[in-house]
Amino acid sequence: MSPLEILDPTVEPKKQPLTYVPRPDSLKGKRIGLVENTKFNSDRLLLKIGEILKSEYGAAETRMWRKHNSSVPAHDEIIDEARRGVDVVVAGVGD
Amino acid sequence: MTTQLVSKRYAVEDPGQAIELCFEKGWTDGLPVVPPTESRVRAMLDLVGLAPEHQVAFITNRQVAVTAEKVAINAVMAGCRPEYMPVVVAAVEGIGDPRWGYHGPATSTGGAGVLMIVNGPISRSLGFNSGDNLFGPGWRSNATVGRAVRLVMRNAIGTLPGKLDRGTLGHGGKYSYVIAENEEESPWTPLHVERGCRPGDSAVTVMAALAPHQFYNQLSSTAAGVLTTMCDAMKNPGMIGQPHYCVVLAGEHMRTIGADGWSKSDIRKFVFENTQNSVAHFKRTGRIAGAIKPDDESTMRSLVLTSDDLLVVAAGGRAGSFSCYIPGWGSRTSSQAVTVTIKDRRG
Repeated sequence: MSPLEILDPTVEPKKQPLTYVPRPDSLKGKRIGLVENTKFNSDRLLLKIGEILKSEYGAAETRMWRKHNSSVPAHDEIIDEARRGVDVVVAGVGD
Repeated sequence: MTTQLVSKRYAVEDPGQAIELCFEKGWTDGLPVVPPTESRVRAMLDLVGLAPEHQVAFITNRQVAVTAEKVAINAVMAGCRPEYMPVVVAAVEGIGDPRWGYHGPATSTGGAGVLMIVNGPISRSLGFNSGDNLFGPGWRSNATVGRAVRLVMRNAIGTLPGKLDRGTLGHGGKYSYVIAENEEESPWTPLHVERGCRPGDSAVTVMAALAPHQFYNQLSSTAAGVLTTMCDAMKNPGMIGQPHYCVVLAGEHMRTIGADGWSKSDIRKFVFENTQNSVAHFKRTGRIAGAIKPDDESTMRSLVLTSDDLLVVAAGGRAGSFSCYIPGWGSRTSSQAVTVTIKDRRG
């Protein structure tokens, strides 16, 4: 028998099921949501991406939301409005 | 306490092998740890009066519940005495508070540590240092309580340097960053009382914080003189938008400022007013984008949103014309300092 036993200090995070919604075959006529993370120039970058999605991929319109800050997930209001009002969301973290 | 400890167990031949196993498993901050045996862990839990399954914090972004058992294991590893456990628990409650906003300061390239300021009777009974070599080595309580919190962040929450902790530079306070306020010699209201605790309470204030910046003034014999030097240094921050600055006034400066009859509130007002920069200055020096407009020369921007966002602490050695200021991390919406009362939960 071993004379000493030590305890594991780590925690396994809870497993969460994660499923992606099906990707649209085309962006033609789709409403695009842009979620801006408050970092410098992130709004400008996303607006540029939105313009490209409209001019080159035929998206119908874009709408942008701003998170409370870059360290938190998009708040409920954004999720609710996006669920009701857009077909596709573009989000990212950038400096 | 008879509740079963649920953590996985590892059998080893001797303490030396236990220490090496902790290195191999990636459970340390780079220094050897005390082997977390059941008897040591139970001593921690008994002293704090918590069941092992008690949830001390829940970190939303990680979906991790930090239990008292995991806090106790990491506190043992850090070298804490069981008596320190209530302080460690309070500090973990603090960084788990939504106002502290764990995900930002723990993971950001900004490289913040967890500054912990201990106040009240427990700071004296447990021997927390509030004097010479304030941020340096030499005191078990200061060294191990902060280390325990960092090990909880690493092991229980998964804040691993280079992975989920992406601090570009970090600083030495990420090993341990614990100070006590010198309440016995301070002419001022203690920090925890200013922040809502009763004078007899013990408390720990956690603030996401960059490294201390020391300044020097041995010429002035007035409060305004000493603080003018500090404000000149503070006025040129490497970053802007911080939610807090902590001002730590050591013995000589504390006595000079106190002798002028200044309260902490007076200090805050002076510092708030004398650390403002023009928007034009920030544009010239690459902190704000865009061309300088005429109004920018006269549009002033303060270091923090209100003078109440400056934390003033009396601490540091009795001798030497040095004090320091400590920039916070992020912004008001990202992370705020949190003060937690240290509870005695034993029956």
